[in-house]
Order: sequence, then structure tokens, then C-alpha cells
Amino acid sequence: MPVIIEVAPAALFVENLFFRLATVAYLAATIGYLLNLGGKKEWGNFASLSLRIAFVLQTAFLVTRGINVERVPFVGHFEFGNLFIWSTALVYLWTEWRQKERYYAVGAFLLPLLLLYVIYVNLPMVNSAHRPLPPVLRYPLWLNIHVSTSVLGYAGFSLAFALALMWLLRTGLEKTVAQASPFMKTVFKAIPQPKALEDYMYSASAFGFLFQTAMIISGSIWADASWGRYWGWDPKEMWSLITWFVFAVYLHARFTRGWSGSRTVALVMVGWVAMMFTWLGVAWLLSGIHSFG
Amino acid sequence: MNNEASGLPERPAAPDSPQKQILNFLSSMQLGIILLLLLAVISVFATLRPMDEAIANIYTSWWFVGIMSFTALNLLLCTVERIGPLYRQAFRPRLEISFEAVKKMSVSRTVKLKKTAADPLSGAAAVFKANGLSARVVDAPAGQLLFGEKGRLGYFGSVVTHLSLLLILLGAMYGALTGFETQGGGRSGETFFVREGNFHVNIHEVKMEYLDEDGKVRPRAKSNITVTRRGEEIGRQLVSINIPLRFEGVSIYHSTFLWVSQLTITDPQTGESVGPVKLLDGDQYTVQDKNIAISALAFFPDFTMTPEGRPTTRGYKPNRPVLAYRITEGGQQRQWELLELGKPTVVETAAGPLELTLSGFENAAVYSIAKNLGRPYLFIGSMLMLAGMYMSFFLSPRRFYAVFDGKSSTLAVGGRGYRNKLLIEQLMEKIETELQQKEEK
Ligand code: HEM
Repeated sequence: MPVIIEVAPAALFVENLFFRLATVAYLAATIGYLLNLGGKKEWGNFASLSLRIAFVLQTAFLVTRGINVERVPFVGHFEFGNLFIWSTALVYLWTEWRQKERYYAVGAFLLPLLLLYVIYVNLPMVNSAHRPLPPVLRYPLWLNIHVSTSVLGYAGFSLAFALALMWLLRTGLEKTVAQASPFMKTVFKAIPQPKALEDYMYSASAFGFLFQTAMIISGSIWADASWGRYWGWDPKEMWSLITWFVFAVYLHARFTRGWSGSRTVALVMVGWVAMMFTWLGVAWLLSGIHSFG
Repeated sequence: MNNEASGLPERPAAPDSPQKQILNFLSSMQLGIILLLLLAVISVFATLRPMDEAIANIYTSWWFVGIMSFTALNLLLCTVERIGPLYRQAFRPRLEISFEAVKKMSVSRTVKLKKTAADPLSGAAAVFKANGLSARVVDAPAGQLLFGEKGRLGYFGSVVTHLSLLLILLGAMYGALTGFETQGGGRSGETFFVREGNFHVNIHEVKMEYLDEDGKVRPRAKSNITVTRRGEEIGRQLVSINIPLRFEGVSIYHSTFLWVSQLTITDPQTGESVGPVKLLDGDQYTVQDKNIAISALAFFPDFTMTPEGRPTTRGYKPNRPVLAYRITEGGQQRQWELLELGKPTVVETAAGPLELTLSGFENAAVYSIAKNLGRPYLFIGSMLMLAGMYMSFFLSPRRFYAVFDGKSSTLAVGGRGYRNKLLIEQLMEKIETELQQKEEK
């Protein structure tokens, strides 16, 4: 029985307003980072500021949404997607704050990815109705740990994926840069050395891996508390495990086998695809208890 | 990858014995990577199958469990083999390092010292300490060496992570071998037997707690149960969602509730009546002497019709209980009909009329019953795993070395990490700047 929480029109208006404004700010940040990468350096600080504003607006959106649904907003793709975008922006802003302007180029790759996620949660097919939480899921402590660790894990993997894309472009240009257009030369120069990219990618993946592990653990503790079993072989559970395996292989191959370059980049990309499938593919293409998102 | 990072035991030049070669293969990371990828690929295919089928034919099959066990063996051997070398690496660092060797480290700097040259190493030691490193001066053959380090626990992160994973796997196996998972349930006053655990569950009462006025929100079912074995009580609890009854490693969880229709069947000619017959949705009752069967299709607690003309319920509250049922006579299915609470309907059959009354309704509780003795191990293993990963990823070992060459009055500083070169590079930059500032002051 689909039950919808009634929300006062004014509250709904405020919630929607913050959501729309955050969307616009993300768009502005994306454009800013891209212009900065393309050589218009003066746009770098604008982009970073827009992203901070987008983050604050989205925080305001999540708070109003939380008040309107009377719980932490993470049910369904709409709410979870917003939390996930929010946490990715947070992780990125934190690294940018530590690495300063030289990290702006990374923003030019992460923000378009983030914008795709933003477009997804704006799609009409993504149900944004205000729904109460099914009683079985009301186990606040583990549930909140589960959700917050999962969005942080996803954030780390998204950042790693953006860095993998950067690595691909940078090494792809390496051989042809001499004959490339002035624009491509500028872009090439703005991107850090491949070795540095690989190190960033490793840090982002390790961060994601730690939180993905915490997500799987808290999820099973929660499932045990709610259903009396900690592992149900449900497709969503399995895909998070698959993602975990792929990143485990990446970390080991890099660290112990000394793999580097295209092979590790490929593993990170496969890991990201598995992560996206865990989030979207399972719900749209496969079914299980988790298909509520 | 420098040799500091690999930490692998050194290989002798002569070919190993076959036993050793097999052991090397079984403990190799190469095999580990292949096994993890294999598990990932099999899991991908398994999720494309219906879940029950995947559980029965893949996840619990001998070969899948075999691959997992093989991975566990690989992991165990690899981890045990590395504990010794890792220990030596962490606690017995090589400190006979010359000026030239420090200069050749992959992260290194040289700083000309004039002013502070009188006591070069203690100046550098202060900089090391200011950056969170321990600092001690040791005598090396080629002169004195300043050695500073941090994050020694980081060397053991992988050992803790791996052993915790083994604990989790063993805990899961132990739980699966000594435990069981099943379902059971019933209405108020009923008892059912759980063969796997050899106990009876007596359901004294199933009551519903409605959480809102109009019954839109799924209510909470609460059931009062006691568990007995050979007549002796071994557990008692008011069970509801998220509040299970636990005893002897067994948990009885409320899983869902069902509606039970109470049907009274009367022969209007004789006045004889049977019932109330208790039917769950999908149950069938056969009236022998009339040669008909009554199937309960669906119970609607708060009946209404959709605009398209399909029966539905407005909510969970039994404001207007209605049963949809179907009569089958001599194998012939009739059109479905509706029966409202307390409003008898007369049905014509070949053997005469029959009066049906929905005389009442009640709820049945369904429980998941699971015994799992592996829980504490899984929990401890999980917490250790997080600790191990934290050690691996956040306590990155860092080692810095400084040697002063009097002739050129140059200080060489070198840094080595275990996995994170970026971190060493950044720390080195800070140390260099601070050393130069000291010189300029
Ligand atoms: C999914 C299962 C596994 C997990 C979660 C895991 C976890 C880890 C972690 C977190 C590290 C530290 C990595 C880093 O710092 O980048 C590590 C290192 C390592 N792992 Fe695993 N591992 C797993 C399976 C395996 C397997 C099957 C092997 C097989 C031999 C293995 C061998 C190693 C080795 C040799 C290292 C180097 C560690 C060192 O000495 O510091 N791991 N593992």
C-alpha cells in the first residue's frame, strides 16, 4: 500500500526551492571547473565557491526534507541520491581544501560526473514522494550508520573514478600532445602527472573501501536485527560484495603485485560500474527485498 | 616499489623443492587475485538468476563453498608467511645507511648547512619531532644517522584485516553448521513445533497495534509467545518487529502478519451450521455433502472499489472487513464474489442453497526462526576488520633518515613509506622548508 506523508505547501515549497537552487549551483560549479581546466584560470575560485554554495544549499534541502518526512532522508533513489551527491561534494571539498588550487583540475572531472547524478535525481521517473519508513527498517542506530557509511563509500569510489578518467585523458594525450591543438595543450598541462593521479586514485579508493566495508558490516548487523539473518544473498547485497571484491583486487594488485597504470585504472573503472549497478542497476533491472532502493 | 615496500622473504637462487613450490603457489597473491576475481564473476552471474535458485544451486553448492574455502586457505598461508618478515621490518629497521644511500632514496633532499652545521643532527631531530616523528641518532659505519618514524602499527593492518576475515568466515561456517533457519507461525491459541530445535512455540495472543487514525501506516503485530521443550518453559516474550525472543542462540523474529477470515456455513433448510472455519488468503474449504469448494481469495480490512472496479483496501484498520471468495462446483470455477462482515449471503448449488457468513476475522503471526551461534565471532571479526583497515589506510608508516656530510656541509634527508609515497613527498616538503628556515634564522 503506497502511503504518502502529507506535507504543508509552504514546507514543500521551501524544500523544492533548496533542491532547485542546489541543482543550479552544481551546474555553475561544473561550468566553472571546466572553464578553469580550459585555461580560464580566473574561474577556478568561482567554481570552488559555487560548489561550496551548492553544498550548503543541498544541506538545507536535506534538512528540510528530513523535517518533512520526519526522519533522516535516505529512502528511495531520490533521497539516497541526494545524500550520495552531498557526501561526494563533501569528500571532494575536503580534499580540495587540503590540496588547494592544484586540485581544481580534478573538479573538472568529478563535477560533470556529479552533475550526471544530479540530473538523475531530477528525472521524473525518480519517485520523490514523501514516504514513511516501513516499520521493519526502523532500527535507527545501525540504519543511520549503514546509510552514512554507504554514501561515504560511494563518494570515495566516485572520486577514484573521476581520477581514473583523468588518467586516461592525460596518458592518451601524452603521445599526441605535440601535434594537439593549443586548447588540448592547455588541458594537458592543467592535469597532474599520471603518477600523482594514481596516488590520488589509491587514496580515494582506500577511503571508499574502508567505508564500503563498514557499510556491508553495519548492513548485516541491521539485517540481523530486523530479519533475523545477517546475509540473505539478495542481489543488492551481492552487488555491494562484488564491488568490494573488485576494489580489493585493485588494492592488492597495486600494493602487492606492483601493478600500475592502465591495469589499475581499468580495475577502478570496473569497480565504479559495479558500484553504480549496486545503486541503480539492481533496482531497475533486478529485484529483491532491497528494490525500495 | 622499493624493497622496503615489498617485505617479501628473499628467494634463494636454487630451485625450491616441489613442496615449497606448491606452498608458494598456494600462498601467493597471484592466486588470491584470481580467486577474488573468480568469486566476483560467479556472483555477477548468480545475481542474474532468481534468488532462490541462486542460493540453492550456486551460493550453497559444494564448488562455491569450495572456492571460498580455498580463498580462505590462500589468505591464511599468505598472512602467516608474512608475519615474520613484517615483524622484522617494523621492529628491526636497517639503520646502516650512508650519506650516499640517503641521497639515492626515491624521496630525498639535500640541504646546505652553514649556520647550524655545528650540531646538524639535533637541529634536524627537532624538525622531525615537530612533524610528529620519533627521532633518535644511531651510529652507522659511515657516521651518525638520524632516524625518525611514525605509524609502525600500520605495518600490521593487513595482518589484522586478514585474520579478521578468516574469523568472519569461520564464524559464518560454524553458525551455518550448528544452526538453522526456518519459518513458522499461527493464530492466537495455536502451537507449532520446530523440529530443528526440538521445541514448541505457543502463541497465546496476536494483537494489532495501529499507529495512526486512518490505518494507512502498517500496524505493528505483537504476539505473546512462550517456548517449551518437553513441557518445560525455556523462553517467553512479547514478540514484535525488531523485538525478537532469544534463547540458546535461537532467535524468533516477527516476520509478518496475515489476516484470517472466519467463515460460518449454514444450510438454510436444516439450520445445521459449520464453523467458524478459519481461512487464510489462498486457503480452500470443501463442503462435502454439497460437492463444492470455497476458496478465500483475499481479505480486505477496509474494503472499497477502485475507479476501475477492482476491490481494494483503504488501509489496515478493519473498518469494513470484506472477504473476496470463489466457489468451485464439480470442478467448475464460478465468478468471484464478496462477503461483508456479518452480512450472510445465500449461494445456490446443485445440492440446494447454502448460507455463507463472514462471522469474524483475526490475525496470524509469521515468525522467522533462526539459530546462529556464530554471531559473536562475526561481530568481533567485523570490528577487527575495520580496525585493521584503519591501520592499513590511515596509519601509514613513514620513516625519515638524515645524514650529515661534513666535507660538503650538506645534510641529506631521505624518506620512505610503506605504501603511500604521496604522503612521504608532502611530509618531505615540509621538513625541507623547516630545515631551510632554521638555517636562515
Ligand atoms: C576480500 C578479501 C581481502 C581483503 C578485504 C583484504 C584486505 C587487505 C588490506 C586492507 C590490505 C592493505 C592494503 C593496502 O594497504 O593497500 C591487504 C594487503 C595484503 N593482502 Fe589482502 N585482503 C583480502 C584478500 C587477500 C588474499 C586472498 C590474499 C592472498 C594471498 C591477500 C594478500 C595480501 C597481501 C600479501 C597484502 C600486503 C600486505 C602487507 O603485508 O602489508 N589478501 N589486504
